[in-house]
Amino acid sequence: MKTIDQINEKIRNGNAVVFTAEEVSRMAETMTSAEIAEEVDVVTTGTFGPMCSSGAFINFGHYNPPIRMEEVSLNDVPIFAGLAAVDSYIGASSESTFDETYGGAHIIEDLIAGKDVKLKARAKGTDCYPTKEVQTVINKDTVNEFYLFNPRNAYQNYSVAVNSQKHSIYTYMGSLMPHMENATYSTSGELSPLLNDPELRTIGIGTRIFLGGTQGFVSWYGTQFNTQKPKNEQGIPTSNAATLAVIGNAKEMSTEYIRAAYFEKYGVSIFIGIGIPIPVLDEDIARAVSIRNCQIETSVVDYGLEDKPVLGMVNYEDLRSGTIKVQGKEIKTGAMSSLEKARKIAEELKTWIKNGEFLLSHPVEMMPKNSSVKGLEQRS
Amino acid sequence: MKKRFVFRFSPNTVKKPLMSYLVREFNIDVNIWNADISYGREGKLVVELEAEEKAIEDGLAYARSIGVNCSPLIKELQFNQERCINCGSCTSVCFYGALQINQESWELEYDPEQCVVCGLCIKACPLQLFSISREEE
Repeated sequence: MKTIDQINEKIRNGNAVVFTAEEVSRMAETMTSAEIAEEVDVVTTGTFGPMCSSGAFINFGHYNPPIRMEEVSLNDVPIFAGLAAVDSYIGASSESTFDETYGGAHIIEDLIAGKDVKLKARAKGTDCYPTKEVQTVINKDTVNEFYLFNPRNAYQNYSVAVNSQKHSIYTYMGSLMPHMENATYSTSGELSPLLNDPELRTIGIGTRIFLGGTQGFVSWYGTQFNTQKPKNEQGIPTSNAATLAVIGNAKEMSTEYIRAAYFEKYGVSIFIGIGIPIPVLDEDIARAVSIRNCQIETSVVDYGLEDKPVLGMVNYEDLRSGTIKVQGKEIKTGAMSSLEKARKIAEELKTWIKNGEFLLSHPVEMMPKNSSVKGLEQRS
Repeated sequence: MKKRFVFRFSPNTVKKPLMSYLVREFNIDVNIWNADISYGREGKLVVELEAEEKAIEDGLAYARSIGVNCSPLIKELQFNQERCINCGSCTSVCFYGALQINQESWELEYDPEQCVVCGLCIKACPLQLFSISREEE
């Protein structure tokens, strides 16, 4: 048994033992959970996938004479202005009025890259905010705050997508070829944050994390947070379950870990790099972080049909091999999230902790234990 | 030798039975990977030619002499690999093995020799890093 404070003391002294979740999964092939709990202090995880429910708050600073911005766009992408005078929220999936392949995600990436972005704002004009129109150019150094605040990221597991129909369909899970010719999936498996702490024993509100290349925080449980999903023998939910809301200073982020995306005939999304350290406090946590790809199962879902039926179960070892077998058919697989980047994130977080630059945090509050997801009903 | 080429036909040359001529006169084996006639009746053929090097050279020279543009396939699909994030989305639609994820490093590997210019990766890449060359040589 260890405490977070004891681990932080070791981090400060530069002698904390830190491994990535992949390294620990390999170690677990020859070591017991008790040995891992004894030897390892922190396990780092990582994920780099498209997460539409993302965005950034921005405060432009006051114009002279001031304007109460009511309609705002950045590079012709409409952004949310229903806040105080010069506060706005750039929704990642908001699309440009003129180009559906460019949107809020690209604005966020451009600003992080230090580029200039065209600001247009309109208002009705008030006694205290008389200006009615502003057109100018901003960048991350001219604005006050610019921070990412993503309502739903880091999905704990996600279903595999296939298409049984006669025509190709284009989804947020990529191009799905007819007759189940391909399958796409989107988590980093044994390296994925919430799959290494399935009960969320160590990750809670206030947890310090790697976000977009800098230190960020878990700000809340993510939207559509679900604790009711069926679990396999290892205690891993077999489809999308828990989620996280995260926050961090976008001015310090890097386009290496935040990248805009456009999915054909779907729209704009954003790749977000997240890494979460898991303190190995006891044997149970050691067992959880030792999980291997072959033990993490997920559902295969037919996106070609409206009710999206589940066609079977596969594990991440199968998915990574390049082919899965579903209902007797061999199907080619491809990932939507980048394992290569997820590994870089877990490695970078490991380096920060080893160098004493990143301390673990006590969650201020734990995540809900009983949470399910409602649909939207037609009511009057 | 075996090599892939792109033949571009203008509206004037699209009606000429070039492939059968290459087979008959130059003893070239022709495997058609992709064929397309676009608006304005311009045509594009992606083919693999198999024959002695000299025969292929002569065949290409003949094609050019009747106004058909030929270029090696390698230049056809443009890929901005520098910006690639190695997600692997494109590999799920590349059925010819031109785009593959390295099982060790999990980096994307692109082998233009295997490409048949089907164009599926263009729509599959969320970073829009693929495009078809408009160059004519």
